[in-house]
Amino acid sequence: MNTTPLLEIEHLTITFPTGSGPVDVVRDLSAVLDANRTLGVVGESGSGKSMTSLAIMGLLPSTARVSGSIRLNGQELVGKTDREFRTIRGEKVAMVFQDPLSSLNPYYTVGLQIEEAYRSHRGGSRRAARAVVLDALERVRIKDAARRIDHYPHQFSGGMRQRIMIAMALCLEPELLIADEPTTALDVTVQAQILDLLAELQQETGSGMIFITHDLAVVSQVAEDILVMKDGDVVERGTAEQIFSNPQAAYTRSLLDALPRIDDPFEELRGTAR
Amino acid sequence: MVLYLLRRILSALGILLLISLFTYAIFFLLSPDPAVLICGKTCTPERIDQIRGQLGLDQPFWVQYWEFLRGLVAGRSYGDGPSAIDCAAPCLGFSFQTNESVTNMITSRFPVSATLAIGAAVLWLLAGIGGGLLSAVKQGTWWDRGAMMVALGGISLPNYFVALILQYVLVVQLQILPFPTAVEFGENPLLWFQSYLMPWLVLAFAYASMYARLVRTNVIDTLGENFMRTARAKGLAAPLILRRHALRPALTPVVTLFGMDFAGLLGGALITETVFGLNGVGKLAADSIAKNDQPVIMGVTLLAALFVVFGNVIVDILYTVLDPRVRVTSR
Repeated sequence: MNTTPLLEIEHLTITFPTGSGPVDVVRDLSAVLDANRTLGVVGESGSGKSMTSLAIMGLLPSTARVSGSIRLNGQELVGKTDREFRTIRGEKVAMVFQDPLSSLNPYYTVGLQIEEAYRSHRGGSRRAARAVVLDALERVRIKDAARRIDHYPHQFSGGMRQRIMIAMALCLEPELLIADEPTTALDVTVQAQILDLLAELQQETGSGMIFITHDLAVVSQVAEDILVMKDGDVVERGTAEQIFSNPQAAYTRSLLDALPRIDDPFEELRGTAR
Repeated sequence: MVLYLLRRILSALGILLLISLFTYAIFFLLSPDPAVLICGKTCTPERIDQIRGQLGLDQPFWVQYWEFLRGLVAGRSYGDGPSAIDCAAPCLGFSFQTNESVTNMITSRFPVSATLAIGAAVLWLLAGIGGGLLSAVKQGTWWDRGAMMVALGGISLPNYFVALILQYVLVVQLQILPFPTAVEFGENPLLWFQSYLMPWLVLAFAYASMYARLVRTNVIDTLGENFMRTARAKGLAAPLILRRHALRPALTPVVTLFGMDFAGLLGGALITETVFGLNGVGKLAADSIAKNDQPVIMGVTLLAALFVVFGNVIVDILYTVLDPRVRVTSR
């Protein structure tokens, strides 16, 4: 049976006009993602990985020029107006951002901020929405959720706030979750918890996930397929297995070499020389 | 919360006490002998001594200051016996020029300053916040540039200059408004309104300019915050994003500024009141400075300090309601 994939990106190019002529931040990117699978996008700052995710959400700055095609369940997203995108944002595609400390509005309770996401798409009474929010908070394992729902963002730790962001993303059961460096701002133990949580929730909901990171160690834990980007180009693609065992591009190899290895006799030396 | 309130009010009273001490000391040390001022040109040394005794000017500084404070709280009387003059609390003494009670002089003029301040505040909040918001949303357009140019003018042009131009254009040239006259609202509401309109506009222009620039910057900063991106990524409608997520963080700092500015104006707008001949507390201050009428200067200074200090307390209390981050730490 021939099914349309969840997400198909074809020849995506994103261009910004600058004082010294147009600059491509993403060049000719193609990728396919099925439900229940995770695509890791790896690259350094400025490689265009975040721009790609913003293009899927329709959140690029208005000066950006987008060409190519992004299809979600066969529906073309490139060229949609901001108003048309609103039915997709949150509802079909949700996003978890890098910095949980500044991604929540300090003036409103976390309950309200999740609730407004839910109600702006599904409507209904505040009471009904509150039940959904409470459930979402419990799913991301906020302890004592019934009380915490009325707390403000500054009353939560960084890891907790990222859980709240995930709860916000999941309360509408989106088909695609984009996690843009979701663990970069967190310390290592919290990072592992968040990764586990994301993987678990993905199994429950069966959504597809795009996981953006600069950290190969992280992407190896979550993604089945990997794109490696540099300066707006895809320099390598393949399954996680292929990329780690047999990297083709020199850039990928240098990224892999930067990882600490347990079997590297010079590891200790390099560490001290730094 | 109650403890916090109590602490704030106590510290405000402490500040007021310090201000009164400093102003009293300045007038005590720097001004010419009040007895000579009161007595006038034809004066005998005996008469001067008599006045000194009656006002307690022969007492040391601390005794005089203490008497002043006591008069403020409990009232006092000058001199003894049948010639004693009573001064009910809050007693600020009597004008050296007119012998009028300073407390009465201030309370009779205060409504004028309050009317001026309230009317101007309404205008400048509307124009400042409205203009600033529009400029922020239409950032970089001709509207934005034009509005910010005008605002720059409002900030840099002195009040009296704007007042003179306005009077020349509206009253002399176009003859839209009559010359401002002191008239009660009850006597002639239209003339009352016309008389206050120009002072309101002049004051509001300066403040609105400041507010517009502040609001514009605050809104633009807020629009760039990460939580705005989150709000958009949730699929919220644009008006809701602006109303809920941008306005509150952007406008909360305006509350601080407004509290201070409005409280300051209640203590009298010196220049505007003088230029338009409005008989408010500001004009009283200007006149008493010109005549070195110490008790009056002292009185209006303390009144202004009172408003500013308690304006501050009110802003702080409001903040605990407006900003959840303050709410928790203040507990």
